Amino acid sequence: MSFFGFDATLPRDKGHSTNAPGFGHHDAFASLGGGAADDDAIDFEETYDGLGDQLDETDDAFNDDTFGSAPATQQDIGRDFDFHGQTSKIANTLQEEQMVYQARHPAPQQQIQQHVQQQRPPIPHASKPTRTGYESYHDPDYIPQLEARADIWGLKPKQSSAPKQSEPQYQAPAPSRKMMSLDEVEAMMRNQPVQATPPPAHQHMAPTQPPMPSHYPQSLPHGQPLFPGQFPPQIMQRPQQHPQQHHQHQPGQPGPRQPQVHAELPAQPVHTQPPQQPTILQRPRQSNETTAQQQRPNQPQGQPQGQPQRPPSQPRHILQNPNRLSGHGQPVAHSGHPGARGPQPGHNRGPSYTPMVITHPEQLMALSQEERDAYIEAEAKRAKRNHKISLLAKDNGLMTPQDKNFITRIQLQQLMTATGNLDERGPEAAIAEDFYYHVMSQIRGGARQNPHQPANQFAQTYLFQTNSRFGPRRNGRTGDNHMQRMEQQVQRAVEAAKAKPKGKQLVIEGSLGKIAFSNAKTPRPLLNIKRPETGDKHPKNHKSSVAHRKQTLRNIEAIYMTLMRIEDVDRAIPPPIREDSSPEAIQAHMEWRSKIETLRKELWQNLKIMEPINPQSPTPHPFISILSHAKGKKAIQRIFPHIDEQERITVVTMIVVHLDQLSVVSHGTATPEEPLSPAMREEIDLFLGTVIPPLFAHVSESPLNIIIGLLGLILDRTHMHVVARSKVGMSLLTILISRAELLKQSAPEAVTDWEQWADLYNRLFDAVEPVLPVIFPGGINDTDDMYIWQFLAAMGVGASPDQQQRLVIGVKDRVMETVTVSKALPAEMAGARLANVNLFMRAIGLDVELLG
Amino acid sequence: MDEREEASNEPLDLVRLCIDEIVVVKLRGDRELKGRLHAYDSHCNLVLGDVEETIYVAEEEDEDQPPRVRTVKKQSEMLFVRGDSVVLIAPQEGVAQ
Repeated sequence: MSFFGFDATLPRDKGHSTNAPGFGHHDAFASLGGGAADDDAIDFEETYDGLGDQLDETDDAFNDDTFGSAPATQQDIGRDFDFHGQTSKIANTLQEEQMVYQARHPAPQQQIQQHVQQQRPPIPHASKPTRTGYESYHDPDYIPQLEARADIWGLKPKQSSAPKQSEPQYQAPAPSRKMMSLDEVEAMMRNQPVQATPPPAHQHMAPTQPPMPSHYPQSLPHGQPLFPGQFPPQIMQRPQQHPQQHHQHQPGQPGPRQPQVHAELPAQPVHTQPPQQPTILQRPRQSNETTAQQQRPNQPQGQPQGQPQRPPSQPRHILQNPNRLSGHGQPVAHSGHPGARGPQPGHNRGPSYTPMVITHPEQLMALSQEERDAYIEAEAKRAKRNHKISLLAKDNGLMTPQDKNFITRIQLQQLMTATGNLDERGPEAAIAEDFYYHVMSQIRGGARQNPHQPANQFAQTYLFQTNSRFGPRRNGRTGDNHMQRMEQQVQRAVEAAKAKPKGKQLVIEGSLGKIAFSNAKTPRPLLNIKRPETGDKHPKNHKSSVAHRKQTLRNIEAIYMTLMRIEDVDRAIPPPIREDSSPEAIQAHMEWRSKIETLRKELWQNLKIMEPINPQSPTPHPFISILSHAKGKKAIQRIFPHIDEQERITVVTMIVVHLDQLSVVSHGTATPEEPLSPAMREEIDLFLGTVIPPLFAHVSESPLNIIIGLLGLILDRTHMHVVARSKVGMSLLTILISRAELLKQSAPEAVTDWEQWADLYNRLFDAVEPVLPVIFPGGINDTDDMYIWQFLAAMGVGASPDQQQRLVIGVKDRVMETVTVSKALPAEMAGARLANVNLFMRAIGLDVELLG
Repeated sequence: MDEREEASNEPLDLVRLCIDEIVVVKLRGDRELKGRLHAYDSHCNLVLGDVEETIYVAEEEDEDQPPRVRTVKKQSEMLFVRGDSVVLIAPQEGVAQ
């Protein structure tokens, strides 16, 4: 409600105009806001009203009492005021407030307005009631602050002008401040009609007492104009006031008043006031009021007390305010103040409205034309304002705190269901909800949320990729990282070979003697280097037309589309069929099976692997082209689980056959002078990480005839010098050779196969030997040469003594260099490098130690 | 064959072909990006990896002479590009593989 800007406006209005309506408006709004703004507004008005002024004139000594910091004293003061002439004012305000209440009720508004016009001219003071109602209700603490401020403000007004009429009133309260019992108060009231005010103060002290309601209405209205502290009580009283008024009226003015009151009461039920006060608090009250007639029974308690007081007060009022006479109906209401306050500069409320106080249509009639117009105008303004307020406030308090809590809970629940508790909806929903999160959490080894099969399988799919990229880790499917396993395999082969005693002397002699030899042989490989350039697929791969490239990309996309669909279906695998499975379950399983079969066929189609091999084609085989893209490489290991054994062999064969056409092979050769580009290096690493592992997994379970077939294809169909100089090619060769060696040691019985293998091996050796001096792609300081030593070791294990000699001759330079370099290296690095060399040396029965 | 056509029956399907490939992206504000396309959406919001951003800054020295163009390059490991600034997406030609 602060948006109304009450704080800012109030001070101004007060300053420039003392119009009661203006104040009233402000107050009403402030009441809507109910916040700090209200407080401020109240302070200003009160200060101006001149409570302080009056006090100053009367006695400074009383200041403390009236404005005392302690709330208790303030309350006392408030009572005093009530008793004074201000009580009459209050009566007006009370009536006005009633009007406001009624007016604010959307339904009854019009009626109320009519009533107001007819009966209640006195709107002027309405502003006061609005204020008080708010603050008093909300913060008990608030009161003290207001008082303190009032003191400050009060000081100024004193000097400028203070109504003298007020003085007597104020003084009177002072004596009454002492605490009295109710009896005493009543006695006093009866005895001294004028001073009857003190008792109300007493009642203020103890708000909880039943009698209080009756007293409050009276006392509050009186004190309120002057004291902010009194406001709270007013609010409380409002409902009660009505009844009181009724009672009073009934005796005094049976005619016009009573009907009004009754009319008003029904109207009250509509909660127009809520704007002013916290709706919740008010509701109960209003509801009580709404049943005002019902309440009356309760009020009687207060009324008896109040009634006695009033009679005395009325005379007083009449004396003070001639205007009041007509307004008999407003017994307690303010009669004297309007006159007294009007002149005061500080009084904003008083001046304009005070004369206007009209409770009866008769009064209106009695007024002069001008007055009547003014009154009607003010009334219209008022009605307008009330209407505004009612519009703003009509929804106030619709929701109780419980309602709000309820809604909050619902929202929270929705949040919960939106984010958490996915398990309830099954793994499928969970994945759909946050696919990548699940993949991530599975990969990162987070606690396994779903032990469901799909999730695991799922994780494996992606685990694989991640592992390959970030080096050795747990590998879901094949267990160890392929490089590690290959190393182990080589190691085992070497161990097995070492078990056989070999003639060291021969080797040593050979190595010593062949040193010159190797130099002489070096030229050969240099000559060979040209071959790759001539017979290269370079241009083909690289200059492959844009169309071909796009085609390849489309193929890859198609593969992925199918792959994802397969993985999707895989995740939805129905429970396995058991003996007691229901027909529906079997049916579902059958459908699932046929679906996945279709998809797998589609995947196989999309691989383009069965496209005819056309050696004359300027572009590589579609499948090989797929492998030239990073995403194509990554697809392989995801494809492997979805194709059968025969198809896997086909894939391996296709790759082996086109080994030298693979971009990672054809472009993967490097020399110390011409190292690989970082991009190429990345490609090779990716290939080693994604394509080789499934190949290796497959080969390491293949029988010898398959190995022989694959190696034969490599020898027959590819350029060995290219293959052997590339990391990928060499790795693949190592895999094949070491597998064959292991098979030879474990199952040497198939003689014919071994003869075939020996033949192949010899061919391989002959093909590789020329490139031995150039198989090291980097300089001596390039530490990435383990795979070469592994290859040499694998070769050495199966080599004949003569071949071993030639091997040693081929790489002797590198061996010696490495040994020399490693001497200058820190122990750790030196050890690693020598260990690599030893892989090979031990395979042929040597050790770097011997080279000392 | 069907899949191929299926894969390119709307313009963004061409962008799809560039997924996981190096692309050159031209942006408003005289900027270009070169990097690996990780993801895109229908707004051409892009996620690029290993991006090199080139900003062309025109420096006016004299009124008579045409402004000199200076380039500022920035390297980012990962970049989200809001689609409303994307002018052009092109596959990078001549990159190995």
